[in-house]
Amino acid sequence: MTSIAPQSRSDLAAPVDLATTLALRSKTSPPRWGRTLYLAVNIAILVFLLAPIAIVIVFALNPTPFIQFPPVGVSLRWFEKFFASREFMHALGFSLEVAAMTTVAATLLGASAALAIARGNLPGSRLIVATMLSPLMLPAILTGLALFQSYVLLDVGRPQWGLVAGHTLVTIPYVVRTTLAVLHNFDLRLEEAAQNLGASPTRTFFEVTLPLIKPGVLAGAIFAFIVSFDQFPVSLFLVAPGNETLPITLFNYLKFDLDGTIGAASVVSILLAFIVVIALDRTVGLRSYVKL
Amino acid sequence: MTASSRRFPLSRRRLLTSAAALGAGVLAAPYVARAEEPVLNITGWGGKWGDVMKAEIGPAFEAEFKCKLKTDTALPFLPKLQASSRSAPVYDVLHTNSNEQWAAVEMGLVEPKVDPKLVPNIADVYPYAVSDKIVGVCIFTSAIGLGMRTDKGYTNITSWKELWDAKYNGVRGGYVIPVNSLGQALLMMCGTLYGKGQTDLDAAYAALEKLKPIKLVDFTGAMEKLLLSGEVGLGVIHDSGIYRYDGQNQPIDFVTPSEGVLSLEQVLSITPGSKMKELANAYVNYMLRPEVQKRLAETVWYSPANKKVKLDAKYDAKLLTTPEKVSKLIQVDWKWYNAQKDEIDSRVNRIFRA
Repeated sequence: MTSIAPQSRSDLAAPVDLATTLALRSKTSPPRWGRTLYLAVNIAILVFLLAPIAIVIVFALNPTPFIQFPPVGVSLRWFEKFFASREFMHALGFSLEVAAMTTVAATLLGASAALAIARGNLPGSRLIVATMLSPLMLPAILTGLALFQSYVLLDVGRPQWGLVAGHTLVTIPYVVRTTLAVLHNFDLRLEEAAQNLGASPTRTFFEVTLPLIKPGVLAGAIFAFIVSFDQFPVSLFLVAPGNETLPITLFNYLKFDLDGTIGAASVVSILLAFIVVIALDRTVGLRSYVKL
Repeated sequence: MTASSRRFPLSRRRLLTSAAALGAGVLAAPYVARAEEPVLNITGWGGKWGDVMKAEIGPAFEAEFKCKLKTDTALPFLPKLQASSRSAPVYDVLHTNSNEQWAAVEMGLVEPKVDPKLVPNIADVYPYAVSDKIVGVCIFTSAIGLGMRTDKGYTNITSWKELWDAKYNGVRGGYVIPVNSLGQALLMMCGTLYGKGQTDLDAAYAALEKLKPIKLVDFTGAMEKLLLSGEVGLGVIHDSGIYRYDGQNQPIDFVTPSEGVLSLEQVLSITPGSKMKELANAYVNYMLRPEVQKRLAETVWYSPANKKVKLDAKYDAKLLTTPEKVSKLIQVDWKWYNAQKDEIDSRVNRIFRA
């Protein structure tokens, strides 16, 4: 005898669920005009974000010594001038050096501070977090001036380490913030499991904790690099004669020569920042952070 | 005790002593290095000025006076000088425009005058370079006048008052007065043109109201570009900003108005607390030498303050190199201006915001 009873509960339920789902979707999904508006707003935001970069690129490739719109042609003369200038090349190399040193210092200090804040059961940890983030609240130009005065009082002049210290001060908050964000979602049982299996605290840190907080630390490191590389107000007071960073050199240059070299230098800066992000993504992987 | 430790007996005391000596050596190294070679800390400009200073003028001074010249080209200079100790200032010689020099002298950051006995070349400068409108000594000046496009059919521009002609509406160029010396000088000129003199602020404000619409820029370099691109047809600019395009077939020219040109002075002054006074005076004297003046003047199109300088014909024809030409210079009373600056800034901001 052939049973006409449903083979399973799901067979019976399926058409009902589908109908309900369709009905619900028609009620909850935004109307077509809503989607169009959503798309338009997103495009407007993208244009707003990318327009300055587009203008800089147009300026850098325009052969005339002034901003002209629409451009009259394409030329690499400003890039040639930029790369041929010893002053710009020195500034570029010096900026990269300072940014690299700042990134290492800010990452080590910021990540360690975040770990201590999250794990250390420290009294007044909220106050400590606020203190760690305070350099972001103070106008950077005042930070630069205060450091400059301190160095003058200590009679150390304007050494490179002083500039790196200034940059580190304003970049630590980024590392602290991003590392704390990762630590907030950290499952402590993973560390306990590793230690129960016999791992030493050091081994637990390097094989369990660090890989798990790596995305936050790396994101902070990238911020630190970019903020240091583009840093202007702090550098304004701390750069020493003959050792100016790229933003300071650009500022001095545009006071006397406002030509496409500024655009070419900006394009190179943007490309460098982009290359750093891509390189870090390829070598240590940033996608995992995006998933968080 | 092993054989090796006997060969190099390293006790804890010896290790600590060596480490302390090494540390002291590292800390003292910069001071030792400083002691070897005197360092003169100065300020200076970037651009072509900076290039020629770095490549020729600076090294020649270092070789002659056996010292190191450290030039800070990163603005702002005054806050850095202000933040440093008066007894050990961050600069020995301050090179800025005249308005900043007056602010510096008011704060006691620089000495009001340079001693002609210690700077003998001062004897050869034009009177304007050491006038009562100047702190320290002026080494060069530019002439602030009008820059115009030569391809727009503008003719007979002979007066500052042309700037107010309605035909330049939309192509008139000026500066953001609170941040630009040329804009500030123009304001004083407005008082002279339409009132009782440089200090007639009411007349100046009324004249500025009538200058609208006007394109305002922060930097002089930006005005050059506006003129080159044709966005500005007639604007306030210094002669160097036009003459530097000489020979490049650009349709721009400099106009010396009949009422005179305003001076934009390059001034050197010495800080009272400088430990390198002798070298500082030697540097000021060096910058006034005819050969140094000629080299810089022909590089950046600044008029030399030393009247003994003989420029090549091309430069001599355009720059202020004779007493007759120099007599057209109008010096701005920056001391007075700086005292009124807050009030002026507030008022001009309201004028141009509207």
